[in-house]
Amino acid sequence: MNLQQNVKITATSSHTLFLDATHLKDPLLSVQKKIWALVKRCKATAAFIDIVPAMNSLTLYLANSDDSNQWQEKLLLWWETTDIEENKGTHHKIITQYGGNTGADLEFIAEHHGVSTQRVIELHTSVTYHVLFLGFKPGFTYIHGLPSELHTPRRSEPRTHVPKGSVAIGADQTGIYPADSPGGWHIIGHTDFSLFDWQKAPPCAIAPGDTLQFISDEALS
Amino acid sequence: MIEVLKAGLLMSIQDQGRFGFRHIGVSQSGAIDPFAAKMANTLLKNDIDDAVIEITLGLAKLLFKCDTVIALIGTDMQAQLDDKPVYPGWTYAIKQGQTLSFKTARNGFRGYVGVKGGVLCEPVMGSRSTDLAAGFGGTNGQALKQGDNIQIQPYYKDWPKRGGILPPKRNVIRVHPSIHADLLTEHALRSFCEISWCVKPQSNRMGVRLSNENSTLSHSHSLPSLAVNPGSIQLPPNGEPIVLLNDAQTTGGYPLLGTIISADLHHFAQLKPGDSIRFEYVDMSTAIKAQKKMTAHFAQLAIALNNAY
Repeated sequence: MNLQQNVKITATSSHTLFLDATHLKDPLLSVQKKIWALVKRCKATAAFIDIVPAMNSLTLYLANSDDSNQWQEKLLLWWETTDIEENKGTHHKIITQYGGNTGADLEFIAEHHGVSTQRVIELHTSVTYHVLFLGFKPGFTYIHGLPSELHTPRRSEPRTHVPKGSVAIGADQTGIYPADSPGGWHIIGHTDFSLFDWQKAPPCAIAPGDTLQFISDEALS
Repeated sequence: MIEVLKAGLLMSIQDQGRFGFRHIGVSQSGAIDPFAAKMANTLLKNDIDDAVIEITLGLAKLLFKCDTVIALIGTDMQAQLDDKPVYPGWTYAIKQGQTLSFKTARNGFRGYVGVKGGVLCEPVMGSRSTDLAAGFGGTNGQALKQGDNIQIQPYYKDWPKRGGILPPKRNVIRVHPSIHADLLTEHALRSFCEISWCVKPQSNRMGVRLSNENSTLSHSHSLPSLAVNPGSIQLPPNGEPIVLLNDAQTTGGYPLLGTIISADLHHFAQLKPGDSIRFEYVDMSTAIKAQKKMTAHFAQLAIALNNAY
Protein backbone atom coordinates (compact mmCIF):
# COMPACT_ATOMS: atom_id res chain seq x y z
CA MET A 1 0.00 0.00 0.00
CA ASN A 2 1.32 3.44 -0.94
CA LEU A 3 -0.07 5.04 2.19
CA GLN A 4 3.23 4.49 3.98
CA GLN A 5 4.84 6.81 1.46
CA ASN A 6 5.95 10.10 2.84
CA VAL A 7 3.59 13.02 2.84
CA LYS A 8 4.82 16.57 2.59
CA ILE A 9 4.35 18.79 5.63
CA THR A 10 4.95 22.50 5.11
CA ALA A 11 4.78 25.39 7.55
CA THR A 12 2.55 27.63 5.41
CA SER A 13 2.78 30.38 8.04
CA SER A 14 4.24 30.81 11.51
CA HIS A 15 1.18 29.14 13.04
CA THR A 16 -0.12 26.75 10.32
CA LEU A 17 1.07 23.37 9.11
CA PHE A 18 -0.16 21.89 5.84
CA LEU A 19 -0.03 18.13 5.34
CA ASP A 20 -0.28 17.34 1.64
CA ALA A 21 -1.26 13.80 0.63
CA THR A 22 -2.81 14.72 -2.72
CA HIS A 23 0.09 13.12 -4.62
CA LEU A 24 -0.52 9.66 -3.17
CA LYS A 25 -2.07 7.54 -5.87
CA ASP A 26 -4.02 5.37 -3.49
CA PRO A 27 -7.78 5.57 -3.76
CA LEU A 28 -8.91 8.98 -2.57
CA LEU A 29 -11.03 7.44 0.19
CA SER A 30 -8.17 5.41 1.75
CA VAL A 31 -6.00 8.51 1.94
CA GLN A 32 -8.89 10.41 3.50
CA LYS A 33 -9.49 7.66 6.07
CA LYS A 34 -5.88 7.96 7.14
CA ILE A 35 -6.35 11.72 7.50
CA TRP A 36 -9.41 11.22 9.74
CA ALA A 37 -7.39 8.87 11.96
CA LEU A 38 -4.68 11.52 12.15
CA VAL A 39 -7.29 14.19 12.99
CA LYS A 40 -8.39 12.07 15.93
CA ARG A 41 -4.84 11.83 17.21
CA CYS A 42 -4.29 15.58 16.82
CA LYS A 43 -7.58 16.37 18.60
CA ALA A 44 -6.39 14.45 21.63
CA THR A 45 -3.63 17.03 22.14
CA ALA A 46 -4.13 20.67 23.14
CA ALA A 47 -1.67 21.86 20.48
CA PHE A 48 -4.16 23.01 17.86
CA ILE A 49 -6.84 25.70 17.73
CA ASP A 50 -8.35 24.34 14.52
CA ILE A 51 -7.86 21.02 12.72
CA VAL A 52 -9.17 21.20 9.16
CA PRO A 53 -9.18 18.21 6.82
CA ALA A 54 -9.83 18.97 3.15
CA MET A 55 -9.42 16.87 -0.04
CA ASN A 56 -6.53 14.51 0.85
CA SER A 57 -4.89 17.23 2.90
CA LEU A 58 -4.91 18.46 6.48
CA THR A 59 -4.27 21.95 7.82
CA LEU A 60 -3.39 22.41 11.48
CA TYR A 61 -3.66 25.77 13.25
CA LEU A 62 -1.13 25.85 16.09
CA ALA A 63 -1.96 27.34 19.46
CA ASN A 64 1.70 28.25 19.88
CA SER A 65 3.90 29.01 16.87
CA ASP A 66 7.00 28.04 18.88
CA ASP A 67 5.89 24.41 18.53
CA SER A 68 5.89 24.45 14.72
CA ASN A 69 9.17 22.60 14.04
CA GLN A 70 8.48 20.00 16.68
CA TRP A 71 5.01 19.26 15.27
CA GLN A 72 6.26 19.16 11.71
CA GLU A 73 8.52 16.26 12.69
CA LYS A 74 5.97 14.59 14.92
CA LEU A 75 3.28 14.63 12.23
CA LEU A 76 5.58 12.92 9.73
CA LEU A 77 6.15 10.20 12.28
CA TRP A 78 2.45 10.01 13.12
CA TRP A 79 1.57 9.59 9.44
CA GLU A 80 3.73 6.46 9.44
CA THR A 81 2.35 5.10 12.69
CA THR A 82 -1.36 5.92 12.35
CA ASP A 83 -3.63 3.15 11.13
CA ILE A 84 -6.87 3.56 9.22
CA GLU A 85 -9.91 2.85 11.37
CA GLU A 86 -13.00 1.41 9.72
CA ASN A 87 -16.43 2.86 10.51
CA LYS A 88 -15.49 4.92 13.53
CA GLY A 89 -17.63 7.95 12.62
CA THR A 90 -21.32 8.47 13.33
CA HIS A 91 -23.78 7.08 10.81
CA HIS A 92 -26.55 9.53 9.81
CA LYS A 93 -29.81 8.60 8.12
CA ILE A 94 -31.04 11.36 5.83
CA ILE A 95 -34.77 10.90 5.33
CA THR A 96 -35.45 12.42 1.92
CA GLN A 97 -38.58 13.28 0.04
CA TYR A 98 -37.63 12.69 -3.59
CA GLY A 99 -39.23 14.51 -6.53
CA GLY A 100 -42.29 16.73 -6.42
CA ASN A 101 -42.06 20.50 -5.95
CA THR A 102 -39.04 20.24 -3.69
CA GLY A 103 -37.15 17.90 -6.02
CA ALA A 104 -37.84 19.54 -9.34
CA ASP A 105 -34.87 18.07 -11.23
CA LEU A 106 -35.51 14.39 -10.40
CA GLU A 107 -37.15 13.82 -13.77
CA PHE A 108 -34.35 15.63 -15.58
CA ILE A 109 -31.77 13.33 -13.98
CA ALA A 110 -33.86 10.26 -14.93
CA GLU A 111 -34.21 11.45 -18.53
CA HIS A 112 -30.55 12.40 -18.77
CA HIS A 113 -29.54 8.85 -17.88
CA GLY A 114 -32.46 7.15 -19.66
CA VAL A 115 -33.83 5.49 -16.53
CA SER A 116 -37.00 5.82 -14.43
CA THR A 117 -37.20 8.26 -11.51
CA GLN A 118 -37.66 5.21 -9.30
CA ARG A 119 -34.29 3.90 -10.50
CA VAL A 120 -32.61 7.24 -9.68
CA ILE A 121 -33.99 7.02 -6.14
CA GLU A 122 -32.88 3.38 -5.85
CA LEU A 123 -29.36 4.26 -6.93
CA HIS A 124 -29.12 7.34 -4.73
CA THR A 125 -30.29 5.41 -1.65
CA SER A 126 -28.28 2.25 -2.44
CA VAL A 127 -24.90 3.31 -1.07
CA THR A 128 -23.23 4.44 2.12
CA TYR A 129 -21.62 7.83 1.59
CA HIS A 130 -18.48 9.03 3.37
CA VAL A 131 -18.18 12.60 4.69
CA LEU A 132 -14.77 13.64 3.32
CA PHE A 133 -14.69 17.10 4.88
CA LEU A 134 -16.80 20.21 5.47
CA GLY A 135 -16.12 23.66 4.15
CA PHE A 136 -17.14 26.48 1.86
CA LYS A 137 -19.96 27.52 4.19
CA PRO A 138 -21.18 26.40 7.64
CA GLY A 139 -22.34 22.79 7.47
CA PHE A 140 -21.61 22.23 3.78
CA THR A 141 -20.56 18.59 3.52
CA TYR A 142 -18.33 17.11 0.81
CA ILE A 143 -19.42 13.48 0.52
CA HIS A 144 -17.98 10.60 -1.45
CA GLY A 145 -19.78 7.69 -3.05
CA LEU A 146 -22.31 8.90 -5.63
CA PRO A 147 -22.83 5.95 -8.02
CA SER A 148 -21.27 6.75 -11.40
CA GLU A 149 -24.63 6.10 -13.10
CA LEU A 150 -25.86 9.33 -11.51
CA HIS A 151 -22.93 11.62 -12.37
CA THR A 152 -24.52 14.58 -14.14
CA PRO A 153 -23.01 17.86 -15.38
CA ARG A 154 -24.09 20.88 -13.34
CA ARG A 155 -26.96 23.07 -14.56
CA SER A 156 -25.87 25.40 -17.33
CA GLU A 157 -27.57 28.23 -15.47
CA PRO A 158 -27.36 28.20 -11.66
CA ARG A 159 -30.54 28.93 -9.73
CA THR A 160 -30.50 32.17 -7.77
CA HIS A 161 -32.33 30.52 -4.88
CA VAL A 162 -32.02 26.94 -3.67
CA PRO A 163 -33.88 26.27 -0.40
CA LYS A 164 -32.17 24.92 2.71
CA GLY A 165 -32.42 21.11 2.90
CA SER A 166 -32.35 20.57 -0.86
CA VAL A 167 -30.73 17.24 -1.81
CA ALA A 168 -28.86 17.70 -5.05
CA ILE A 169 -26.47 16.20 -7.61
CA GLY A 170 -23.64 18.15 -9.24
CA ALA A 171 -21.09 16.39 -11.45
CA ASP A 172 -19.69 13.42 -9.45
CA GLN A 173 -20.98 14.73 -6.12
CA THR A 174 -24.19 14.72 -4.18
CA GLY A 175 -24.95 16.97 -1.25
CA ILE A 176 -27.40 18.85 0.92
CA TYR A 177 -27.75 22.65 0.93
CA PRO A 178 -27.17 23.69 4.58
CA ALA A 179 -28.89 27.08 4.08
CA ASP A 180 -30.81 28.99 1.41
CA SER A 181 -28.31 29.98 -1.28
CA PRO A 182 -27.76 30.23 -5.01
CA GLY A 183 -26.74 26.90 -6.55
CA GLY A 184 -25.98 25.09 -9.78
CA TRP A 185 -26.68 21.50 -8.76
CA HIS A 186 -29.74 19.49 -9.81
CA ILE A 187 -32.25 19.30 -6.98
CA ILE A 188 -33.70 15.80 -6.63
CA GLY A 189 -35.30 16.00 -3.21
CA HIS A 190 -35.64 17.63 0.16
CA THR A 191 -34.71 16.66 3.71
CA ASP A 192 -35.61 18.16 7.07
CA PHE A 193 -32.28 16.92 8.42
CA SER A 194 -30.58 20.07 9.69
CA LEU A 195 -26.92 20.30 8.71
CA PHE A 196 -26.18 23.46 10.64
CA ASP A 197 -27.97 25.32 13.40
CA TRP A 198 -25.95 27.90 15.30
CA GLN A 199 -28.36 27.70 18.23
CA LYS A 200 -27.45 24.06 18.83
CA ALA A 201 -24.36 22.75 20.60
CA PRO A 202 -22.66 21.41 18.61
CA PRO A 203 -24.08 23.44 15.72
CA CYS A 204 -23.32 20.76 13.17
CA ALA A 205 -24.44 17.14 13.56
CA ILE A 206 -22.10 15.85 10.86
CA ALA A 207 -18.30 15.66 11.07
CA PRO A 208 -15.55 14.54 8.69
CA GLY A 209 -15.24 10.74 8.89
CA ASP A 210 -18.96 10.18 9.44
CA THR A 211 -21.07 8.14 7.05
CA LEU A 212 -24.43 9.02 5.49
CA GLN A 213 -27.28 7.11 3.99
CA PHE A 214 -30.18 8.65 2.09
CA ILE A 215 -33.54 6.98 2.79
CA SER A 216 -36.65 7.68 0.73
CA ASP A 217 -39.57 8.77 2.93
CA GLU A 218 -41.81 6.53 0.81
CA ALA A 219 -39.79 3.49 1.84
CA LEU A 220 -40.68 4.30 5.45
CA SER A 221 -44.43 4.61 5.05
CA MET B 1 -27.03 51.36 25.55
CA ILE B 2 -25.86 53.00 22.33
CA GLU B 3 -28.33 53.83 19.57
CA VAL B 4 -27.17 53.70 15.96
CA LEU B 5 -28.32 56.95 14.30
CA LYS B 6 -26.34 56.31 11.12
CA ALA B 7 -24.52 53.06 10.28
CA GLY B 8 -22.50 54.27 7.29
CA LEU B 9 -21.13 51.81 4.71
CA LEU B 10 -20.86 48.84 7.08
CA MET B 11 -20.92 48.77 10.88
CA SER B 12 -20.73 45.53 12.85
CA ILE B 13 -19.83 44.07 16.23
CA GLN B 14 -16.55 42.13 16.21
CA ASP B 15 -14.07 40.67 18.67
CA GLN B 16 -10.82 38.73 18.11
CA GLY B 17 -12.74 36.11 16.11
CA ARG B 18 -14.34 32.69 16.25
CA PHE B 19 -11.98 29.73 16.53
CA GLY B 20 -12.31 25.96 16.75
CA PHE B 21 -15.08 25.54 14.17
CA ARG B 22 -13.26 25.81 10.86
CA HIS B 23 -13.67 22.05 10.30
CA ILE B 24 -17.45 22.52 10.02
CA GLY B 25 -17.12 25.45 7.65
CA VAL B 26 -17.49 28.33 10.13
CA SER B 27 -15.46 31.41 9.18
CA GLN B 28 -13.17 33.14 11.64
CA SER B 29 -14.96 36.54 11.51
CA GLY B 30 -13.66 39.15 13.98
CA ALA B 31 -12.13 42.61 13.64
CA ILE B 32 -10.25 42.96 10.33
CA ASP B 33 -7.64 44.83 12.37
CA PRO B 34 -7.41 42.67 15.50
CA PHE B 35 -4.54 44.84 16.80
CA ALA B 36 -6.78 47.92 16.74
CA ALA B 37 -9.48 46.07 18.68
CA LYS B 38 -6.82 44.85 21.11
CA MET B 39 -5.50 48.40 21.48
CA ALA B 40 -8.99 49.74 22.27
CA ASN B 41 -9.49 47.05 24.91
CA THR B 42 -6.02 47.57 26.38
CA LEU B 43 -6.58 51.32 26.81
CA LEU B 44 -9.95 50.63 28.47
CA LYS B 45 -8.51 47.86 30.66
CA ASN B 46 -11.05 45.47 29.15
CA ASP B 47 -10.42 41.84 28.30
CA ILE B 48 -8.40 41.71 25.08
CA ASP B 49 -11.14 39.67 23.40
CA ASP B 50 -14.02 42.04 24.32
CA ALA B 51 -16.25 43.05 21.41
CA VAL B 52 -15.87 46.44 19.73
CA ILE B 53 -17.75 48.31 16.99
CA GLU B 54 -16.10 48.19 13.56
CA ILE B 55 -16.88 51.18 11.32
CA THR B 56 -16.16 51.16 7.58
CA LEU B 57 -15.29 54.40 5.77
CA GLY B 58 -17.24 56.60 8.23
CA LEU B 59 -20.48 58.56 7.67
CA ALA B 60 -21.72 57.08 10.92
CA LYS B 61 -23.35 58.46 14.06
CA LEU B 62 -23.87 56.93 17.51
CA LEU B 63 -26.03 58.21 20.40
CA PHE B 64 -24.95 57.25 23.92
CA LYS B 65 -27.90 56.55 26.21
CA CYS B 66 -25.73 56.11 29.30
CA ASP B 67 -22.35 57.23 30.66
CA THR B 68 -19.36 55.22 29.52
CA VAL B 69 -15.74 55.49 28.38
CA ILE B 70 -14.75 54.85 24.78
CA ALA B 71 -11.49 54.23 22.96
CA LEU B 72 -11.22 55.39 19.36
CA ILE B 73 -8.71 53.39 17.30
CA GLY B 74 -7.95 52.95 13.63
CA THR B 75 -8.11 55.40 10.78
CA ASP B 76 -8.95 59.08 11.26
CA MET B 77 -12.58 59.60 10.23
CA GLN B 78 -12.74 63.19 11.51
CA ALA B 79 -14.80 62.08 14.49
CA GLN B 80 -16.66 64.52 16.71
CA LEU B 81 -18.09 64.10 20.18
CA ASP B 82 -21.10 66.43 19.90
CA ASP B 83 -19.33 69.35 18.18
CA LYS B 84 -15.80 68.76 19.54
CA PRO B 85 -13.19 66.91 17.49
CA VAL B 86 -11.89 63.63 18.95
CA TYR B 87 -8.86 61.68 17.77
CA PRO B 88 -7.95 58.06 17.16
CA GLY B 89 -5.59 56.52 19.70
CA TRP B 90 -7.31 58.06 22.73
CA THR B 91 -9.95 57.29 25.35
CA TYR B 92 -12.83 59.69 26.07
CA ALA B 93 -15.29 59.77 28.94
CA ILE B 94 -18.85 59.99 27.61
CA LYS B 95 -21.95 61.45 29.23
CA GLN B 96 -25.45 60.17 28.60
CA GLY B 97 -27.00 61.96 25.61
CA GLN B 98 -23.75 62.70 23.78
CA THR B 99 -23.37 61.77 20.12
CA LEU B 100 -20.26 60.51 18.36
CA SER B 101 -20.23 61.21 14.64
CA PHE B 102 -17.81 60.32 11.87
CA LYS B 103 -17.15 62.03 8.55
CA THR B 104 -15.09 60.12 5.97
CA ALA B 105 -11.80 58.30 6.37
CA ARG B 106 -8.97 60.21 4.71
CA ASN B 107 -6.05 57.78 4.82
CA GLY B 108 -7.62 54.46 5.66
CA PHE B 109 -10.83 52.47 5.65
CA ARG B 110 -11.74 51.13 9.10
CA GLY B 111 -12.12 52.54 12.58
CA TYR B 112 -12.97 50.94 15.90
CA VAL B 113 -14.94 52.14 18.90
CA GLY B 114 -14.23 50.20 22.07
CA VAL B 115 -16.43 50.74 25.14
CA LYS B 116 -15.64 50.21 28.80
CA GLY B 117 -16.66 46.62 29.60
CA GLY B 118 -17.01 45.69 25.93
CA VAL B 119 -20.12 45.45 23.75
CA LEU B 120 -22.53 43.02 25.38
CA CYS B 121 -24.20 40.43 23.21
CA GLU B 122 -24.60 36.68 23.52
CA PRO B 123 -21.46 34.80 22.39
CA VAL B 124 -22.11 32.22 19.66
CA MET B 125 -19.56 29.39 19.43
CA GLY B 126 -17.33 31.28 21.83
CA SER B 127 -17.35 34.63 20.03
CA ARG B 128 -19.41 37.82 19.86
CA SER B 129 -18.26 38.52 16.31
CA THR B 130 -20.94 39.00 13.68
CA ASP B 131 -20.79 36.34 10.94
CA LEU B 132 -22.48 38.42 8.25
CA ALA B 133 -22.70 35.63 5.65
CA ALA B 134 -24.01 32.90 7.95
CA GLY B 135 -26.21 35.25 9.96
CA PHE B 136 -25.25 34.72 13.59
CA GLY B 137 -23.30 36.49 16.32
CA GLY B 138 -23.31 40.22 17.10
CA THR B 139 -26.80 41.71 16.89
CA ASN B 140 -29.02 39.10 15.16
CA GLY B 141 -26.17 38.06 12.89
CA GLN B 142 -26.55 41.25 10.88
CA ALA B 143 -24.71 44.47 10.19
CA LEU B 144 -25.84 47.28 12.49
CA LYS B 145 -28.47 49.53 10.99
CA GLN B 146 -30.19 52.78 11.86
CA GLY B 147 -32.32 52.42 15.00
CA ASP B 148 -30.42 49.40 16.38
CA ASN B 149 -29.44 49.45 20.04
CA ILE B 150 -26.03 48.23 21.15
CA GLN B 151 -25.98 46.88 24.71
CA ILE B 152 -23.25 48.15 27.02
CA GLN B 153 -22.71 48.30 30.77
CA PRO B 154 -22.88 51.96 32.01
CA TYR B 155 -19.70 53.29 33.58
CA TYR B 156 -19.99 56.39 35.80
CA LYS B 157 -16.58 56.69 37.45
CA ASP B 158 -13.87 59.12 36.41
CA TRP B 159 -11.51 57.92 33.73
CA PRO B 160 -8.01 59.28 33.04
CA LYS B 161 -7.41 60.09 29.37
CA ARG B 162 -5.13 57.46 27.85
CA GLY B 163 -3.48 57.09 24.49
CA GLY B 164 -1.55 54.55 22.47
CA ILE B 165 -0.28 54.24 18.94
CA LEU B 166 -0.51 51.41 16.44
CA PRO B 167 2.60 50.27 14.56
CA PRO B 168 3.24 52.33 11.39
CA LYS B 169 1.76 51.54 7.97
CA ARG B 170 3.67 49.37 5.50
CA ASN B 171 3.54 49.68 1.73
CA VAL B 172 5.28 46.38 1.08
CA ILE B 173 3.46 43.46 2.66
CA ARG B 174 5.50 40.46 3.77
CA VAL B 175 4.41 37.03 2.58
CA HIS B 176 5.24 33.40 3.46
CA PRO B 177 6.31 31.42 0.34
CA SER B 178 3.74 29.66 -1.85
CA ILE B 179 3.11 25.94 -1.43
CA HIS B 180 2.16 25.90 -5.12
CA ALA B 181 5.42 27.37 -6.40
CA ASP B 182 6.07 24.44 -8.78
CA LEU B 183 2.59 24.71 -10.24
CA LEU B 184 2.58 28.50 -10.62
CA THR B 185 6.26 28.75 -11.68
CA GLU B 186 9.03 30.90 -10.22
CA HIS B 187 8.47 33.39 -12.99
CA ALA B 188 4.87 34.05 -11.90
CA LEU B 189 5.85 34.39 -8.23
CA ARG B 190 8.59 36.88 -9.15
CA SER B 191 6.17 38.84 -11.29
CA PHE B 192 3.69 38.90 -8.34
CA CYS B 193 6.32 40.77 -6.27
CA GLU B 194 7.58 43.02 -9.05
CA ILE B 195 4.33 44.79 -9.83
CA SER B 196 2.19 47.09 -7.75
CA TRP B 197 -1.38 45.87 -7.17
CA CYS B 198 -4.50 48.00 -7.09
CA VAL B 199 -7.37 47.30 -4.65
CA LYS B 200 -10.62 46.64 -6.54
CA PRO B 201 -14.00 48.04 -5.43
CA GLN B 202 -15.38 44.47 -5.07
CA SER B 203 -13.26 44.04 -1.91
CA ASN B 204 -15.03 43.36 1.38
CA ARG B 205 -14.63 41.58 4.73
CA MET B 206 -14.25 38.26 2.86
CA GLY B 207 -11.27 39.40 0.87
CA VAL B 208 -9.36 42.17 -0.85
CA ARG B 209 -9.40 41.74 -4.62
CA LEU B 210 -6.38 43.02 -6.51
CA SER B 211 -5.76 43.89 -10.12
CA ASN B 212 -3.01 45.14 -12.40
CA GLU B 213 -3.58 45.54 -16.11
CA ASN B 214 -0.09 44.14 -16.80
CA SER B 215 -0.70 41.00 -14.77
CA THR B 216 0.58 37.87 -16.51
CA LEU B 217 -0.59 35.55 -13.77
CA SER B 218 -3.65 34.04 -15.47
CA HIS B 219 -3.67 30.24 -15.53
CA SER B 220 -5.95 27.22 -15.89
CA HIS B 221 -5.11 25.22 -12.75
CA SER B 222 -7.75 23.82 -10.46
CA LEU B 223 -6.79 22.04 -7.25
CA PRO B 224 -8.40 19.60 -4.83
CA SER B 225 -10.04 21.82 -2.16
CA LEU B 226 -7.65 22.75 0.62
CA ALA B 227 -8.07 24.75 3.83
CA VAL B 228 -7.71 28.52 3.45
CA ASN B 229 -7.72 31.24 6.09
CA PRO B 230 -7.35 35.00 6.60
CA GLY B 231 -4.04 35.89 4.96
CA SER B 232 -4.13 33.19 2.26
CA ILE B 233 -3.57 34.77 -1.17
CA GLN B 234 -5.66 32.92 -3.74
CA LEU B 235 -4.92 33.15 -7.44
CA PRO B 236 -8.05 32.50 -9.52
CA PRO B 237 -7.58 31.64 -13.23
CA ASN B 238 -8.10 35.31 -14.25
CA GLY B 239 -4.73 36.15 -12.66
CA GLU B 240 -6.13 38.66 -10.16
CA PRO B 241 -5.06 37.72 -6.61
CA ILE B 242 -7.49 37.73 -3.69
CA VAL B 243 -6.14 38.28 -0.17
CA LEU B 244 -8.57 36.42 2.06
CA LEU B 245 -9.76 38.26 5.16
CA ASN B 246 -11.71 37.30 8.27
CA ASP B 247 -15.07 36.41 6.66
CA ALA B 248 -13.52 34.14 4.02
CA GLN B 249 -14.73 30.61 3.38
CA THR B 250 -12.76 27.82 5.10
CA THR B 251 -11.77 25.78 2.02
CA GLY B 252 -10.99 26.65 -1.60
CA GLY B 253 -9.62 25.15 -4.80
CA TYR B 254 -7.50 27.98 -6.24
CA PRO B 255 -3.69 27.85 -6.10
CA LEU B 256 -2.16 30.00 -3.35
CA LEU B 257 0.51 32.64 -3.94
CA GLY B 258 1.42 32.44 -0.27
CA THR B 259 0.19 33.60 3.12
CA ILE B 260 0.54 37.11 4.55
CA ILE B 261 2.63 37.03 7.73
CA SER B 262 0.53 37.47 10.89
CA ALA B 263 2.22 40.77 11.79
CA ASP B 264 1.22 42.38 8.45
CA LEU B 265 -2.30 41.13 7.75
CA HIS B 266 -3.92 43.93 9.78
CA HIS B 267 -2.72 46.48 7.20
CA PHE B 268 -5.48 45.20 4.88
CA ALA B 269 -8.05 46.70 7.26
CA GLN B 270 -7.04 50.13 6.02
CA LEU B 271 -6.85 49.47 2.27
CA LYS B 272 -9.66 51.05 0.30
CA PRO B 273 -10.60 50.68 -3.37
CA GLY B 274 -8.00 52.38 -5.55
CA ASP B 275 -5.12 52.01 -3.06
CA SER B 276 -2.01 50.24 -4.25
CA ILE B 277 0.07 47.64 -2.48
CA ARG B 278 3.15 45.52 -3.11
CA PHE B 279 4.39 42.20 -1.78
CA GLU B 280 7.69 40.57 -0.87
CA TYR B 281 8.43 37.01 0.16
CA VAL B 282 10.19 36.59 3.50
CA ASP B 283 11.51 33.61 5.42
CA MET B 284 10.05 32.16 8.60
CA SER B 285 12.50 33.85 10.97
CA THR B 286 11.57 37.29 9.58
CA ALA B 287 7.87 36.50 10.10
CA ILE B 288 8.44 35.33 13.66
CA LYS B 289 10.60 38.35 14.47
CA ALA B 290 7.88 40.66 13.13
CA GLN B 291 5.25 38.90 15.24
CA LYS B 292 7.43 39.17 18.37
CA LYS B 293 7.80 42.89 17.69
CA MET B 294 4.00 43.25 17.63
CA THR B 295 3.69 41.32 20.88
CA ALA B 296 6.38 43.50 22.44
CA HIS B 297 4.53 46.63 21.29
CA PHE B 298 1.47 45.61 23.30
CA ALA B 299 3.52 44.43 26.26
CA GLN B 300 5.18 47.86 26.42
CA LEU B 301 1.81 49.60 26.22
CA ALA B 302 0.42 47.45 29.05
CA ILE B 303 3.47 48.21 31.22
CA ALA B 304 3.25 51.93 30.45
CA LEU B 305 -0.44 52.02 31.36
CA ASN B 306 0.12 50.12 34.60
CA ASN B 307 2.99 52.40 35.60
CA ALA B 308 1.15 55.59 34.74
CA TYR B 309 -1.96 54.87 36.78
